[in-house]
Amino acid sequence: MWILRINMTDRTSKWEAVPERFRTLYGRALTSKIVAEEVPPLCHALGPNNKLVFSAGIVTSTPAPTSARISVGCKSPLTGGIKEANAGTSWGPDLASMRIRALIVEGLPQDTDKFWGTFIHWDKDAQKPVVEFFDASEYTGKDVYESYPMIYQRFEGRISIASIGNAGEYGYGNSGIVFNDQAKRPSRYAGRGGVGAVMASKRLKFIVLNEKGSPGVEIVDKALFDEGRKKMIDAIRTHPISKPKGGLNTYGTAVLVNILNEAGGLPTRNFSAGRFDGAPKTAGEAIFETNKERTGKEVYNHACSPGCIIQCSNTLFNPDKSERASCIEYESTWALGANLGVDDLDDIATMVHLCNAYGLDTIETGVTLGVAMEGGVIPFGDSKGAIQLIHEMGKGTPTGKMLGGGAEVAGKLLGVRRVPTVKGQAMPAYEPRAVKGIGITYATTTMGADHTAGYTICPEILGVSGKQDPLSPEGKAALSRAFQATTAFIDSSGHCLFIAFPILDIASGFEGFIQECNGVLGTNWSADDVVAYGAEVLKVERAFNEAAGIKAEADRLPEFMHLEPLPPHNQVFDVPDEALDSVFKEM
Amino acid sequence: MKLDVWLYGVLRKYGTDPSQIGFARVNAELPAGASMGDLLAMLHLPTQERGITFVNGNLSALPGFQPDLGHVFEDGDRVALFDLKSMWPFQYRNGAAMTEAMRQAVAENPESLLHHQHGDEDSRGEDQEQ
Repeated sequence: MWILRINMTDRTSKWEAVPERFRTLYGRALTSKIVAEEVPPLCHALGPNNKLVFSAGIVTSTPAPTSARISVGCKSPLTGGIKEANAGTSWGPDLASMRIRALIVEGLPQDTDKFWGTFIHWDKDAQKPVVEFFDASEYTGKDVYESYPMIYQRFEGRISIASIGNAGEYGYGNSGIVFNDQAKRPSRYAGRGGVGAVMASKRLKFIVLNEKGSPGVEIVDKALFDEGRKKMIDAIRTHPISKPKGGLNTYGTAVLVNILNEAGGLPTRNFSAGRFDGAPKTAGEAIFETNKERTGKEVYNHACSPGCIIQCSNTLFNPDKSERASCIEYESTWALGANLGVDDLDDIATMVHLCNAYGLDTIETGVTLGVAMEGGVIPFGDSKGAIQLIHEMGKGTPTGKMLGGGAEVAGKLLGVRRVPTVKGQAMPAYEPRAVKGIGITYATTTMGADHTAGYTICPEILGVSGKQDPLSPEGKAALSRAFQATTAFIDSSGHCLFIAFPILDIASGFEGFIQECNGVLGTNWSADDVVAYGAEVLKVERAFNEAAGIKAEADRLPEFMHLEPLPPHNQVFDVPDEALDSVFKEM
Repeated sequence: MKLDVWLYGVLRKYGTDPSQIGFARVNAELPAGASMGDLLAMLHLPTQERGITFVNGNLSALPGFQPDLGHVFEDGDRVALFDLKSMWPFQYRNGAAMTEAMRQAVAENPESLLHHQHGDEDSRGEDQEQ
């Protein structure tokens, strides 16, 4: 296995052996470790000293189910802190199959007129990957739905593509890195924190992989791995959320719209209410029924990446049965729907598609537009106006470029007081005043407001923190700490976070999860060990943030959430600062 | 008394207005003092077919965990019933509002809040015991 360094200053590549201290580090654990070791915390995120690190997870590229995740790490131009964003795509397994443990993109060229691509493929004779560079300037300024087919045409065989859209090229804090899905759509985003702008700052437009002939991932204890894999598959296939034609496969992640709306926790019109009358028209149930009406059959969701047996990615079809957008996630239909006071599903789908095409994060985009509506740029509910503003972001008009800076920047420009961000990153679709536990995680995660920072897989967790009432602020803080650690481990394993649903409830699935990892690595980890592994990842990330000037005082929600009661429950966020500080005090 | 009842997903079939996509809204008329059980009987909706349930935005039931059958409504209450495909992972409901009965049940057994029970067709008969 190798660490591959690509230096964009002079377009050279270098192969290094994986150091012993990285032996068990994969995915988020490795991207964060390398960023912490090699990136000066106070550097400019778009400058020559930032690095962009890719690493697939422990079991990625093995037959482990639902495990094709790729982690992307760097210093974030949006938060100024450490960032890990991940996506499900064939790109991750292809990188791992060529035994590239981490790909580090560093430096940046003097000549900023050009964009470059790199093509990494397996050399059978040398039994090693080779790196080639190509001039990608001709693709500059095109959206990714234009450029992807050109790249597929340019390279022979089955390739996987990582790229950036216009948003990255403009250097927006709101810009992701896009990977292909199973149908060659440029739709799988490591979306958050401006990772696209970091890749673009290095004048790198594409990383194309062809793993043909590569040896694949080594599995130390095949029998143990297979035993674990079987338990995982059984758990996923029997749990009502993850099984075929279950919740995620039928309604997608947008299954949560109506739930959060009824709970009074669906942020509406820039976080001014917790319930939106039009929400049911934008929900997973409505997407499923609309497709049924338009296509004449029940359409179940598809896999974003090879080997996924949950298959939660949806597509909205037009009345003429053509595709309108894929995929409409919960966060996206909320950010561009309820958050804007918009209930037109087709317009929401158009906005999702445009965000994908231009390389924008749907959450940051929706929250920015919500702030812009609050600031009077266009009225709430104006979906056509919102579509126009996304075009402006994609085309780089002066207004578009300002909105590309993200929600916090837009709030400052427009004099808006209600700006739902933590550490500069826009808040996702769970209102902390209605769901207080998630508020603790939003406030304290190293990533800025992030809904994927606090999943739980350990059935033991409540027992571990059983000394405290889980409903008390202190109990919730203890749970948040444990959740964030387990999540950091899942993000390092290469599994999708959604395996957490079945294995939390089905004990054998949890055993299988750890057995898979032990099987690949030859380790002997227990449940406690994986939580400790995740906690170590968080320590590394927090140390980076502190050195970058983001200290415990930044672990707070915006003031308006303490001051403005949120209807319908009319609650404020009342978790005391001491409880927030207790999340990581003991770590 | 009148209740504002929202039926989501496949539970839409228990509503009378098929014009909405993905949900149905029912204005239910019930005698004063009516309970969740009475409402379900009026809708002809078997309780084991519902999962997550809310009364006025307060969580009152989860799949296979229904401490709300005796919940007595007040005039104007909003009731939301979800099918068994719906989900609400714990981390996204930790700290959300609950009915008093739900809160008591959770206080007695915190595990009941953490887990999503198997309220599907394979284990329907056991749900009430769990």
